[in-house]
Amino acid sequence: MGWTLTVTIALYGLGLLHSIFGFCRKRDVFVRLALGMVGSGFAFHTLALVVLSVQRRHFPITNLPESLCFFAWCISLIFMIANLRYKINVLGAFVLPLVSLLTILSQWIWEDNQGIPAPLNSAWVHFHVTVAFLAYASFFLTFVSGIMYLIQEKELKNKNFRFLYFRLPSLQVCDELLRRSLFVGFFFMSLTIISGAIWAQQAWGSFWSWDPKEIASLISWCIYLFLVYYRLSTNWRGRRASYISIIGFISILSTFGVNWGLHKYL
Amino acid sequence: MFNLLLVGLNHRTAKVDVRQRASFKAEQLPQQLQRLSACPGIREAIIVSTCNRVEILTRVDSQGEASGTVEGFLSEFSGIDLPQLQAALYRYEDEQAVRHLFRVACSLDSMILGEPQILGQLKSCYGTAVDTQTVGSFLNALLQSAFRIAKRVRTETSIGEYPVSVSSAAVELVSKIFGDLQKKSILIVGAGKMGEAAVNHLAAIGAKAFYVTNRSPEAARDLAGKFNGIAVPFSELNSWIGRVDIVITSTAATDMLINRSMVEAVMHERKGAPIAFIDISVPRNIDPGIGKIDNVFCYDIDDLGAVVEANQHERLQAASAAEKIIEQEVQTFCQKAKSTEVGPVVQQVQGHIEEICKSELERYLRKTGAMEPKKIQDLETMITRIAGKIAHPLVVQLRNEHRSQNESAAYMDLIKRTFKPKDAE
Repeated sequence: MGWTLTVTIALYGLGLLHSIFGFCRKRDVFVRLALGMVGSGFAFHTLALVVLSVQRRHFPITNLPESLCFFAWCISLIFMIANLRYKINVLGAFVLPLVSLLTILSQWIWEDNQGIPAPLNSAWVHFHVTVAFLAYASFFLTFVSGIMYLIQEKELKNKNFRFLYFRLPSLQVCDELLRRSLFVGFFFMSLTIISGAIWAQQAWGSFWSWDPKEIASLISWCIYLFLVYYRLSTNWRGRRASYISIIGFISILSTFGVNWGLHKYL
Repeated sequence: MFNLLLVGLNHRTAKVDVRQRASFKAEQLPQQLQRLSACPGIREAIIVSTCNRVEILTRVDSQGEASGTVEGFLSEFSGIDLPQLQAALYRYEDEQAVRHLFRVACSLDSMILGEPQILGQLKSCYGTAVDTQTVGSFLNALLQSAFRIAKRVRTETSIGEYPVSVSSAAVELVSKIFGDLQKKSILIVGAGKMGEAAVNHLAAIGAKAFYVTNRSPEAARDLAGKFNGIAVPFSELNSWIGRVDIVITSTAATDMLINRSMVEAVMHERKGAPIAFIDISVPRNIDPGIGKIDNVFCYDIDDLGAVVEANQHERLQAASAAEKIIEQEVQTFCQKAKSTEVGPVVQQVQGHIEEICKSELERYLRKTGAMEPKKIQDLETMITRIAGKIAHPLVVQLRNEHRSQNESAAYMDLIKRTFKPKDAE
């Protein structure tokens, strides 16, 4: 494990602590500090990934620790874009725990370079896995906005004007974040499936072979398709959309976990 | 210690008629400031006057004498008998006065805790005093500190974030649903005072699309005129509910104007776009049961009261954090002021000792005759060092942080008198 990743973990951890403190005490100063820390953590993370790619002579997404590390990088990226766009102060307290956890976990189970497995040796691997992780990261944000929406809606409906009512963003903001991250995630997920199919055709001679991971992705994709469709056609929003975003993310988690068959590498 | 004296009255100590009579109009301030600073014993002066308070902050020669002067000045200005006025006045000296001023600037002493106007009022009163040239370096430093601390409290605590009036709580509540309210449309049913206050708040944060309806079309037109709104017929209430985002009812009607079946029908047309109902009328005009419908949020006057209460609670918590900041700043300011005060006294003591030694040296030289210049120089250096070493324990005592104010003042006074320059005796 390189020192760059140690610095990354330290910065993410500090960012997380400051986010949580800022969230509880409602102090924007800490949230801004946290953003600075996560931003610099992200820079070190990027550096670490670049160094790793050069050392191992491949994009570091070919085994589990590498891909967890890359997944954390994707969430961190999406988090910062969302923060620049929407300035939701509390987002860090929800998103950063996973970022920190994934980075630490990837170091915990770190494996030495075993070289790229032969069947994966294709230009497609980089594209396919990158868009897949970007999709997962976006859907994680959809999931977080759904959770925030549901909590805030519950506080508003039950007239609980307490801790969370004061701290969570407005329903409109949660809903908007949910919508944007949903569309972005759906776009990347579609790219993942298409690129996977093309790559499969080149590597194994068939576009689709009902591999478990393929099936799981298809299910997740259909769940999100359903949500996107209703969003666009009847402007479905709020609670129902939030519930589906949660179901969708559970499906994504199982997609991520299913690693056998053609996807035995990852 | 710093000869600082603050005499004043506020909403807690004085009834409104006393406050009104004692308050200074902006155009009266320069003249009155000049009149006050011309009084004997007054070195610097600032008058702070708002609808809830009158504070006269002065730097004086002696606090005991000056407080009578200031009270007399205020009594003469307001035309209130001195005894009656004195009953309403508070009087703070030195550290207490510093603390009081800081608390006022941070809005901890306000009727509505954390309200932001006081700082602006304080700044403008200070500006007048600066223009009238009744402010010297001490009050200048004090007020600048107060402004800085007020800013610090605003940024480091959340004291100003929670609205504590019913109508602003209503606005806060709907912004928790809709976020930015600028592009939202608002329907006002009825022409009650509270409804109008809520609309004022909404207009202040940039809402533009107002629709007004009332059983009396004239009243609707009147109210609509005030906000560039549009008066709509009362008979079309149903269809208007379908078109707006926020409905505020504030009527004298005793029946339910909006019921569940009406809203259910409307929500179908709205394709689930959220809608908020704020019912400020007593008795209620909206069936509270509509809050159970998806994407419908309904609040009555009691709910708004609960928001206000919750906000006050949050403000109180922020206030205790603010008090801590202020206490720390009061100590810093007083320490700094004390040490600038100590400086001249130390010099005086040291100078006194040096003078004694030098005159002894001269006498010695006169007796023994000429000496090498190098040796004389050495002796002079020695004298300075002896003077410094004798003065040092006094300085330590003067700068002692743990001594009470009165003790320090007495100590300082004693030293000043002991080492008085000869010609002053």
